[in-house]
Amino acid sequence: MASRPAVEAAPTLALEHIDALSRAAGEDAGILAIRREARARLTPFALPDRANHLWRYTNPARFLPDGDPTAQGPADVSPTWRLDESLSVAALLAGGALRVVEIGDAARNAGVVVEDLHRAAADGFFGTVVPAAHGFLEAINAAAWRGGVLVRVPAGVSLEHPIRLRLVAGDLMVPRVLVVAGEDSSFEIIEGHVGGGAASKVIGVTEIVVGAHADVRYGLVQRWEAGVTGHLTARARVAAGAHFQMSLASFGGTAFKADVGAFLAGEGARVETFGVAMGGEAQHFDHHTEHIHEARKTSSNLDFKVALTGAARSAYTGMIRIAPGAGGSEAYQENRNLLLSGQARAESIPELEILTDDVRCSHGATVSPIDPEQLFYLESRGLAPMQAARVIVYGFLDQTLGRLPQTTRERIQALVAARLHTE
Amino acid sequence: MNHDSNPVFSCAGVRIHIGEKEVVKGVDLTVQPGEIHAIMGPNGSGKSTLANGLMGHPAYAVEGTVTLAGEDVSSLPPDEKARRGMFLAFQYPVAVPGVTVASFLRAAVSAVRGADVPVREFRKELLERMADLEMDPAFAGRYLNDGFSGGEKKRVEILQLLMLKPRFALLDETDSGLDIDALKVVARGINTAASNDTGMVLVTHYQRLLNYVHPHVVHVFMDGRIVRTGGPELALELEERGYDWLEPAAAAGGV
Ligand SMILES: Nc1ncnc2c1ncn2[C@@H]1O[C@H](COP(=O)(O)OP(=O)(O)O)[C@@H](O)[C@H]1O
Ligand SMILES: [Mg+2]
Repeated sequence: MASRPAVEAAPTLALEHIDALSRAAGEDAGILAIRREARARLTPFALPDRANHLWRYTNPARFLPDGDPTAQGPADVSPTWRLDESLSVAALLAGGALRVVEIGDAARNAGVVVEDLHRAAADGFFGTVVPAAHGFLEAINAAAWRGGVLVRVPAGVSLEHPIRLRLVAGDLMVPRVLVVAGEDSSFEIIEGHVGGGAASKVIGVTEIVVGAHADVRYGLVQRWEAGVTGHLTARARVAAGAHFQMSLASFGGTAFKADVGAFLAGEGARVETFGVAMGGEAQHFDHHTEHIHEARKTSSNLDFKVALTGAARSAYTGMIRIAPGAGGSEAYQENRNLLLSGQARAESIPELEILTDDVRCSHGATVSPIDPEQLFYLESRGLAPMQAARVIVYGFLDQTLGRLPQTTRERIQALVAARLHTE
Repeated sequence: MNHDSNPVFSCAGVRIHIGEKEVVKGVDLTVQPGEIHAIMGPNGSGKSTLANGLMGHPAYAVEGTVTLAGEDVSSLPPDEKARRGMFLAFQYPVAVPGVTVASFLRAAVSAVRGADVPVREFRKELLERMADLEMDPAFAGRYLNDGFSGGEKKRVEILQLLMLKPRFALLDETDSGLDIDALKVVARGINTAASNDTGMVLVTHYQRLLNYVHPHVVHVFMDGRIVRTGGPELALELEERGYDWLEPAAAAGGV
C-alpha cells in the first residue's frame, strides 16, 4: 500500500511549544536537545508504509494525536488510589504530572530513587533503549512527552515488595518511563494503564535498563476504558547474566498496539515474556514482541495467549532475531489464540531472523475455536454453556499466568475472572 | 435396591443418527434405583453413541424419549440433565488444560447441588473420596485429564461419580485400560455408588469387571440394538461363546 500524503497526516509540534514545555518542566539542555532532534526527524512527516511488517494489521494514522500534544497544559487530574497491598513504591502519572504516592522505608533506606523524569533524565540512559529513531510514535513521544518517571534501584538491592506505577489516561497522554536496575539488583515492577474514555489517545514509551546479573520482573497491564486508542512501546536492555521477565496483560481500550521486547545484550542474559490478551466487542489488538539476541549464550522464551469474543480482532507478530555473534543461544516462542465467537479474528505471525547456525529455536502458533468436546464434557457435569466456556478460557489463559510472579499473577487472574464474568 | 415401578431412568425407541447413518436403531431400557445394568457388545456396535446421545451430545440427532426419575428430559441440554442427576463417565475423557481437578470439581459440585460448597468443606470431601480411590492428593492440583494415563483418567471419572452422586450414571468402558489393582478400585467406586441408590448402566466389552461388580441385568448390544437381555449368567455365556452366535438375532432385528 502506498504511503499517505505527508502533509495531511503530519502532527503539529510547534518548536516554541516544545521549548516552553521543557522550560516549564525544569528540564536541562540535554533533554531539550533530544526533544528538538526527535521533532526534526518528523519533518518532513510520513506515516510508515502499511507494507511494513509492524503496520500490516493496524492503520498507523489511528494513533496520531489530535492537535499539538505539546500545546496542552497539565490537566488537573487527581485520581484516588487505595493501596491494598505492601509496596516498595507507588507512583502515579496523571494529567501530565508525577505523584509519588508512597515509598516504603526499606526502599528508601536502600537508596531507591523515584523522580520526576523531566528533571532527572540526563543520566546517559534516557533515549538509549527506545530512541526516537525507533518509529514515528516513539519520535512523537520523545519530542512531546509530558509526565514521566525515573525509577532507579541501586546495585545489589533486592526489594521484597513490588514497585507499582499507575498511568491514568486523559484526553491525550504522552508518558515516559525509565527504569534503571543496578547490577545484581532484584525487584518486581508493574506498569498499570487505566482510565481514559471516548476519543482518548495514549502514546507511551518505557525504557528499562537491566544491569549485569540483575533480576527484573516487569508487568505491563493495560486496562483502559472503552474508547481509548493507545500505543505503548516498551524495551529492556538486558546485560550479561541478567534475567528479565515481562508479563503482558491487555484488556481494555478500543484500539491498542503494543510494541514490546528486549535486547539480550550481554552473554548469558535470559528473557521471558509471558502474556495474555482478552478482547471483546469491536476491540482491536495488535501486539508485536521482539527478542533480539545480541550476545552469546542468551536464552529467550515467549508464551502469549489471546482469547477473543464478539467481533474482536487481534494480530500478533513475534520477532526473534539472533545476531551473527550470538552463538550458543536458544529462543522459544509460542502464541495461541482462542476464538469464542464466529466473528472474532486472530492472526499470528512468527518472524525469525536467525543469523547463526549455532542456535536452538522453535516457534508455534495456533488460532482455534473453543473445542466442542471440552464444552460437552463440562456441560455433562452440570456447567451451563456460558460457565463451561468461561472455565475453558480461564484455563487456557491460566496456563500462561501460572508462570508469573505471585502478586502479578493474582492481580491478572482477578482481572481475567472479572472480564469473563462481564462477557 | 428398589424394585417398585419408580425407575430412576428409562428410555424408549431411541434412535441416533450420525449424519446420514443410523447408528443406534431403537433402544429401550429401564433402570431402577441402585440397579446395575451391563451393556456388552463388540467394538463399533454403537455403545458410545448411545451413551453420548442419551447425555445430549450436540452432534447427535436423538429420537425417542428419555425419562429421568419420572421427568421427560428428552429435549434438555446436557447441563440440565446433569443438574437433574444424570451422569456420563466418558470412554475418552477430554483434557481441559489450565483447569485443575479441584477447581473443576468444585464448579461441577456447586452446579449440580445448586449452591456453592464452602471451600474447606469441599476440600475435605474431595480428599476423602480421593483416598477411597487410592489417589495421590497431588492429583487435585493437576490440570484435568491433561497428560493423565488411561487409568488415571478412569479414576478421575469415578471420582466425579462419587462427588456428584447422580441418580443415574452411564459408564462407558470405565474398565478398559486398567490394571487389576485399578480395576478393583474402580469397581469399589461403582459398588459404593450403587449402594447410594445410583442406578447405573455399565458399557463394557470385558467380562473382567463383572468379577468385581455384579450386574442385575445384562444386555447384549450389537449393530445398534439390544439383541438379548438376561441375568449375570448371560455375561458368562458371552465370555465363553463370544458374540457370533447372536448374529442371527441381530440380523432379525431384536429378541
Ligand atoms: N463422530 C462420529 N462421526 C462418524 N461416525 C461415528 C462417529 N462416532 C461414531 N461413529 C461410528 O458409529 C459407529 C459406532 O461407534 P461407537 O458408538 O463408538 O461404538 P462402540 O462404542 O460400540 O465401540 C462406528 O461405526 C463409528 O465409526
Ligand atoms: Mg465405545
